[in-house]
Amino acid sequence: MGSVFLLFVCAAVGTFCGYLILLSYKRNYSYLDGVCAVISALKQNLSYKKDPVPVVLGGLNISNLQLKKNIQEYISFASGQSLGKEVSRGFLPQETFDSVNELFDSIGASDESTQGARLDALLSKFEKLREAAENKYKGFGGMAVKLGFLIGLAVGVLAL
Amino acid sequence: MEALFRLIPEKYSAVIKAKLCTERLCEVRIINGAPIRVNYDGVYYYLCGDGLTRDRSAAFNAENNSAEQIVMRACSHSLFTVTDTLRRGYIAATGGVRVGVCGAGVMSGGVLTAVKNFYSVNIRLPHEVVGCAGALAPKLMNGGKIKNALLLSSPGAGKTTMLRDLCRLISDSGYNVLLCDERYEIASVTDGKSALNVGCCTDVISGIDKPRVFEMGIANMSPHVIVTDELFSSDLPYVARASTCGISVIATAHAKNIDELKAKAEYAEIIKSGVFDCYVVLSGPPSRNFTVYDGVV
Repeated sequence: MGSVFLLFVCAAVGTFCGYLILLSYKRNYSYLDGVCAVISALKQNLSYKKDPVPVVLGGLNISNLQLKKNIQEYISFASGQSLGKEVSRGFLPQETFDSVNELFDSIGASDESTQGARLDALLSKFEKLREAAENKYKGFGGMAVKLGFLIGLAVGVLAL
Repeated sequence: MEALFRLIPEKYSAVIKAKLCTERLCEVRIINGAPIRVNYDGVYYYLCGDGLTRDRSAAFNAENNSAEQIVMRACSHSLFTVTDTLRRGYIAATGGVRVGVCGAGVMSGGVLTAVKNFYSVNIRLPHEVVGCAGALAPKLMNGGKIKNALLLSSPGAGKTTMLRDLCRLISDSGYNVLLCDERYEIASVTDGKSALNVGCCTDVISGIDKPRVFEMGIANMSPHVIVTDELFSSDLPYVARASTCGISVIATAHAKNIDELKAKAEYAEIIKSGVFDCYVVLSGPPSRNFTVYDGVV
């Protein structure tokens, strides 16, 4: 009975570790998916209403917590509530973090046509990043859970 | 005044809040690397830690990129929203604040496409003096018909303040007023709401040039009177057309007095044509009086 329980615990721990890896891939994908949605919203607004960037960003419903935080940081800078344009990195990989800084540096810094072209270029860049993150999430994420289970099970067997 | 404090650095706004009466503050002028100047009750001073001074050496000095910082704040870091007005030399910030901007023009094929390297800004603050046109309004609303009137004064003498109150009084008397607020200075509409009182029967069109407003307004809004700020020679044919449609026009123009207006060739014609029933000359601070002249001058 004790050995079955040990096997169960090891498998559960291994699966849980795999699940954590899956979540880390998922949140990166979700962040990038959110950024793409933000850029699309900016582009859409630019084509008709041309609201200031903080107004557009403030009206978006963002679910990813890190992106929500970054957007808030930008809004408080752009609306004059804070002096610096620092964006917190959180869990973001360096490449994503650099691209997000590039995004926040370029939005609102030019006329309409330049802004539109810049948003197109940034959207294409973030779509590529999102695609890579999605592949990682769906491919490696699922595999990490299975591997975690198997490794946990193997550790349990070895421990018996 | 919050609109001003959002534009300027904390150091300056703290002094303005603590030492000055914001109601008397008309302008804040900032030139990169130069002392900050303010127009306080019509008189220019330097801004310093103790409030106002005439001593240049005691004044706050602006940073070398102050103008750019203020421009970016005025447009909420969204330059594309103000490209058109920047080409005309200003940004309409929130709360009726107008930021005059100087910088280097970017030309393309003889057309001004953008402004860069911002050099200086002049932050002009709106003043709502409810009742300041109380004595003037009855003179313009005579026998149920509103007179075509042109308000004249030199810059900073209170034309826009007088016009806003006039607009409110005429509107509250039940006339359909169409307010052409090209520079967001008169009604200061933000998010579809007027920040300043322009009357209960006033339709406001903001951010659109006068010729278009005259065309749209006459066709769609059936106004009794069109109120607009800062008339230029190019707008005069539209004023003449409105008056032939039975619509009164009340506007302002930059001229110290009638003689100065007459001296401008473009106005000489319209004075001769008698489009305006009267001219109102405003004297600036401290007296802030007005004199009404008959249209035949």
